[in-house]
Amino acid sequence: MRRVTRVAALTTGVVLALSACSGGSDSSSDQGGSGELKVGMAFDTGGRGDGTFNDLAAAGLDTVKKDLKAQVQELSPDDQGSNRADLLRQLADDGHDPIIAVGFSYSEVTDTVAKEYPDVQFVVIDGSPSAVPNVAVKTFEEEQGSFLVGAVAALKSKTAHIGFIGGNESQLINKFHAGYVQGAKAVNPKIVLDDKRLAPGNSDAGWGDTQGAKVAATAMYQAGADIIYTAAGGSWGGSFPAAAAAPSRWAIGVDADQYNTVGDPKLQKIILTSMVKRVDNVVVNSVKEFQEKGKILTGSYGLKDKGVGFSVTGGFVEDIKSRIEGYEAKIIDGTLAVASAL
Amino acid sequence: MSTSVGAAGPAPQGTGPAKSPGRSGPSPRRGPLAPGGRTRRLLVATALGLLALSIARVMADEPVLTSSGTMTAVLGLSLPIALAGLAGLVSERAGVVNIGLEGMMILGTWGAGYGGYQYGVWGAFLGALLAGTFGGLLHAVATVSFGVDHIVSGVAINLLAAGAVRFLSELLYKGVPGGGPTQSPTVRGGVSTFDLPVLSSGPDLLGRAEDTGLPVVADLAGILRGFTTDLTVFAVLGLALFPFFAFFLWRTALGLRWRAAGENPYAAQSLGVDVYRMKYLAVLTSGALSGLGGLFIVLFSGLYKEGQTGGRGFIGLAAMIFGNWRPGGVVGGSLLFGFSDAVRLRSSGSGGVLALFLFAAILLAALAVRQLARGHRLHGAALAGIATAAALTWSGLDSLPNEVTTMTPYIVTLLVLVISSQNLRMPTYDGVVYRRGEDH
Repeated sequence: MRRVTRVAALTTGVVLALSACSGGSDSSSDQGGSGELKVGMAFDTGGRGDGTFNDLAAAGLDTVKKDLKAQVQELSPDDQGSNRADLLRQLADDGHDPIIAVGFSYSEVTDTVAKEYPDVQFVVIDGSPSAVPNVAVKTFEEEQGSFLVGAVAALKSKTAHIGFIGGNESQLINKFHAGYVQGAKAVNPKIVLDDKRLAPGNSDAGWGDTQGAKVAATAMYQAGADIIYTAAGGSWGGSFPAAAAAPSRWAIGVDADQYNTVGDPKLQKIILTSMVKRVDNVVVNSVKEFQEKGKILTGSYGLKDKGVGFSVTGGFVEDIKSRIEGYEAKIIDGTLAVASAL
Repeated sequence: MSTSVGAAGPAPQGTGPAKSPGRSGPSPRRGPLAPGGRTRRLLVATALGLLALSIARVMADEPVLTSSGTMTAVLGLSLPIALAGLAGLVSERAGVVNIGLEGMMILGTWGAGYGGYQYGVWGAFLGALLAGTFGGLLHAVATVSFGVDHIVSGVAINLLAAGAVRFLSELLYKGVPGGGPTQSPTVRGGVSTFDLPVLSSGPDLLGRAEDTGLPVVADLAGILRGFTTDLTVFAVLGLALFPFFAFFLWRTALGLRWRAAGENPYAAQSLGVDVYRMKYLAVLTSGALSGLGGLFIVLFSGLYKEGQTGGRGFIGLAAMIFGNWRPGGVVGGSLLFGFSDAVRLRSSGSGGVLALFLFAAILLAALAVRQLARGHRLHGAALAGIATAAALTWSGLDSLPNEVTTMTPYIVTLLVLVISSQNLRMPTYDGVVYRRGEDH
């Protein structure tokens, strides 16, 4: 009996240990060049290859490595995201400076770790405002990019009825929604707009809810909406198939140019455009900023700085491209202001 | 839908007294439709439920309550939960608590994603089955062979599964178009669906009846049409599993041994039942069924995405407890959850969810009247109080905050659990580690 218990305890231990490492960080160190610049990057859950947000950051890091001759190291958190602080400490201990944390969820963690390493520059992409001096926060003016895809949707809609599916009710997602609504109303003040959030408040439950997104999108399409903008992380995996299942229905992607990343011709056919967040540009600019000034400042990137934009891949919006660019020019020169909240 | 499944199962909704484990035979037969008979009671309850739903739909003017679109969503949302519940049931009936359902379901979604990407829908089916069964095997080895605490092993499997699928995705989807560390490419060849001919497609008789908007008629048509459109072969197969297990566990010799392992393994052992083998069989089956639950999540949208189970394995566990460890009850619990979730997701604004309050008020009022008529004053008064509160919520509020609407399915489940928990009875040796020859 005693032996059995011991074997059992051992098995459980091994199982737990296995689970800990398989979910853990996978690190890949790269000796990119001989320069002194050592850039560390900590991805959000999903890591390199997620097809959207992290991949864009990874593309930026690749450029940094190639063009700025920097040494780079990248780490990914486990799928619960519970070891973010450890990743940042590991990068700092290995002498990386600056350290780029990708994603909103790093906000608080980075503040904590940055206080332990006051001489290292930290950057949080998409983070919430920080009072720690060595933490810079780079955000996007998503409302500006969303304004443009809202205008695209209103111009392309045959039913004058469009929809929005958000991952939650956070300030971030509200920015997407606000821009989308303003863009659509700028084209057609009478347009009907549906809004559905998959999860409440700041909950993470809406980022991978393919079932929920498909049910919500199907309902909107059945109710007459013909274009839906999904800003809900991986939940596009539900709303895009819903569009593909019905005739003459469209979807709008987010973060990456999803026409290029979705990988299925059937789904490509329904991706009208994407609101792209140029995380890659921001990564490269931040590192350049560090090289030139020795530090990185908090800032936000809009259409002017090519931080956000709309994609034309697939050629579905060629006919209205010039009108959208007209709005873009107006936003850039300041004659058209887009509010970040309704 | 619930009618046919419940009617085929010998043990619907946990209202009757719990059976003693040794009695496998049916209670004395009086014909299924005799007064007080189970089938008749169920039919009456279903009819009353439909009536209440119809009244709520007309009063609140919210077609979303009974539209065919909602019911199709109910089927899609309920099936994975119901299968997770059934998976928990078959395991716990043999005495092994399985809170690793979520993990096995995660393995199932991954297996379905990979199999589907490689070989199409049948590949997805096999992949889900194998991956889920593997999770079951881990749990069986840990709990049955090594006597690990069932909860500890279950938690470990949940953690292990989440890590393992990430690892496998990073390994196998590198550079694959549409694939990545958190997702699979879409299922090869797509997922084909069919509608029931004549009634739900072509002449679409049910669709026409639904369009009339008549009370009860339109509602019934909407429900039937919703459950007979966008079907997959696997959905039909999945539905058939409930009557199958109801029959198998309560009407066959093997099923009796299976349940005996959960009710009193030492008695079973003394009668020559190989309890270890029964438990292994049960936990492996449980893994396979959880995997199938994962399959339905993947087929619903046609690809694997990390986190898409979203705790449905745990909700399945709740559905199992709600259903008093019986197949008919599991179906009921899952439908309840899927229904409130579908209404929340499909209604524009929160009108649909508010209408659910009205529906609940009507049902509770009916229950209160019954309790009062039987002389249970306290019980009846309490139910009437809740009914009034629900009715006031509906009439007094124009909208609900999103926090509340997204919580609806959980609130409903909790409420029903509270109300019905009086009659629940789990298998006697559920969760108790069994060692051959160690009885006292």
